[in-house]
Amino acid sequence: MDSRVYILGRDSAPQYLRLEAGEELAMTLVVPPGTDVQYSLEVDLCGPGAGLDLAGLYLCPGSERVELRVLVRHSAGGCNSRQLFKGIVGGTARALFDGLIYVAPDAQKTQAYQENHTLLLSETARTESRPQLEIYADDVQCSHGATTGYLNPEELFYMRSRGIPEAEARRLQMQAFLAPVIRRLSDAAAEEIYASLP
Amino acid sequence: MEEIIKDISSQEYKEGFVTEVAQEYVPKGLNEEIIRLISAKKGEPEWMLDFRLGAFRKWQQMTLPQWGHLKLPPIDFQDIIYWAAPKRAEDRPDEIDPALMETFDKLGIPLREREMLAGVKPKGEVAVDAVFDSVSVTTTFRKSLAEKGIIFCSFSEAVREHPDLVRKYLASVVPVGDNFYAALNSAVFSDGSFCYIPKGVKCPMDLSSYFRINAAGTGQFERTLIIADEGSSVSYMEGCTAPMRDENQLHAAVVEIVVEKDADVKYSTVQNWYPGDAQGRGGILNLVTKRGICKGSGSHLSWTQVETGSAVTWKYPSTILLGDHSSSEFYSVAMTNNYQQADTGTKMIHLGRGTRSRVVSKGISAGHSENSYRGLVQMGPGADGGRNYSQCDSLLIGSSCGAHTFPVIRNQNPRAVVEHEATTSKISEDQLFYCTQRGIAPEDAVALIVGGYAREVLSRLPMEFAVEAQKLLSVSLEGAVG
Repeated sequence: MDSRVYILGRDSAPQYLRLEAGEELAMTLVVPPGTDVQYSLEVDLCGPGAGLDLAGLYLCPGSERVELRVLVRHSAGGCNSRQLFKGIVGGTARALFDGLIYVAPDAQKTQAYQENHTLLLSETARTESRPQLEIYADDVQCSHGATTGYLNPEELFYMRSRGIPEAEARRLQMQAFLAPVIRRLSDAAAEEIYASLP
Repeated sequence: MEEIIKDISSQEYKEGFVTEVAQEYVPKGLNEEIIRLISAKKGEPEWMLDFRLGAFRKWQQMTLPQWGHLKLPPIDFQDIIYWAAPKRAEDRPDEIDPALMETFDKLGIPLREREMLAGVKPKGEVAVDAVFDSVSVTTTFRKSLAEKGIIFCSFSEAVREHPDLVRKYLASVVPVGDNFYAALNSAVFSDGSFCYIPKGVKCPMDLSSYFRINAAGTGQFERTLIIADEGSSVSYMEGCTAPMRDENQLHAAVVEIVVEKDADVKYSTVQNWYPGDAQGRGGILNLVTKRGICKGSGSHLSWTQVETGSAVTWKYPSTILLGDHSSSEFYSVAMTNNYQQADTGTKMIHLGRGTRSRVVSKGISAGHSENSYRGLVQMGPGADGGRNYSQCDSLLIGSSCGAHTFPVIRNQNPRAVVEHEATTSKISEDQLFYCTQRGIAPEDAVALIVGGYAREVLSRLPMEFAVEAQKLLSVSLEGAVG
């Protein structure tokens, strides 16, 4: 499977992708700290059997303004798409994730999933999540989930009671939270993200 | 399978009859003169007229909201009769017109207070405020409610008899300029229900409003105001029907609910306006603003709605969770068939500490209908420990309908948690096969599966309503399976 990683603000990432019958693509988007970005991506699954595996993470510990808009369009039946976006937002940053799954009439046997999770670290940070479904075919399996939350104080207590310093424990929590996306990166890119955790 | 779906969508709307009753109208159209006329007909005090005129001037500067996932037919606001009422000799006659009595009997709404049989306690009595076109016809059980200090009457009476309460709370939850239709309603609202539960009183029976559109060419603009004072509780139900007509009729209502400290309000709706025919002609345009505020700490507001009717539904019952540790729920089943369109959902706005909310929405679309869930969950900077869980499921029946989910989650607090999930599915061949193979007719099987799917919401309804809602769901589905 074709697998690509884009660091937004550094690499030029595509804004429109078209997947023909049987084509499969894995794509990972990374928004490192200190990046203001307004990025929108449209992926058109237009042949049967096309598959998209999309993941992204955004780290906004300062005063970033991040807007990610993703439209996954199932124009043909029998395709599957999967999305996973994770964000950590602190400081006075603003982060928006707007993701729409569109299933065209007659795009039967579609499977589409989308997840968006964010952690809020400060009183002055703001997050907004808009996971959306627009479905015009009946024989489909589509679902999305979105959560926003904060670093679990009980986990923190558990680690601190075992002698792990607070800052270290917080970093471990964030690492664990981001792991499903970081796993997809090269070692060098992963190191960079780990080092930049607030 | 195809045949079953066809059968299900061909059922008739049994509330679609017209009552022949002498009615009086104001002329068509909308301007300050009409508003003065409506206000004069109702014998309103000066402040009420000023309120209406203020709203009208705001409305004139507003534009129609376009953001809904709806194809609205153009509405000519000058081509609507804004006030229609059955003729009557005096303001509130002792005797109700037998034709009206019959109408409400036919709809299963008791307007007589049933006499108690010796030794037999009536079970589940319901006090009803019946609104026919622009006026409230009668309110039952007022005496026994008044003994407890509960005020339950038509809105017009409340304006006359309890002006202090009305002035204090009117437009305190839905401001006059909140949106286009709320402003229109504030300018021309005709009647509706008013309910006040005093401190510490548990309302001994369910209260209910029943709305009926009868006259042609009119719109219905009712206004409901419910106030639950400290520590009180009430269960409120709302039902509605309209005759079958080829034209679209406008229904733009406003419901405001104020819940004070430790009070508990349960608001249930079974919406069964005429949905238009199988080709999408006619039907009610149901453009409604409903909002409650949990003002005091520990207050609770629960919304339950079953939406089966209306050509177009545009409705977002919302709760502002202002008081600390207040909570709210929203349970909804929205069913669309043929060419019906629904864009409905809720807004949960968390402002106080430790506020909790729960959203369960079940959409069912069949035929050529469009069914959208649209919602907002917001955690304000003060909502420490706020918690929300939302679940939106869509069920598609047939391949020409649409099911959509448009939630917004906005978080401004690092100690609040919001969870949202949504799924879309259809009735599988396997489920149908399982039922039919056990001798259950396909229509019944679909009704059974849909009933099971909607059960979590239906079980929240008061008993009389739950039975009706279950029936409505299976009726609305007629001809949808195939």
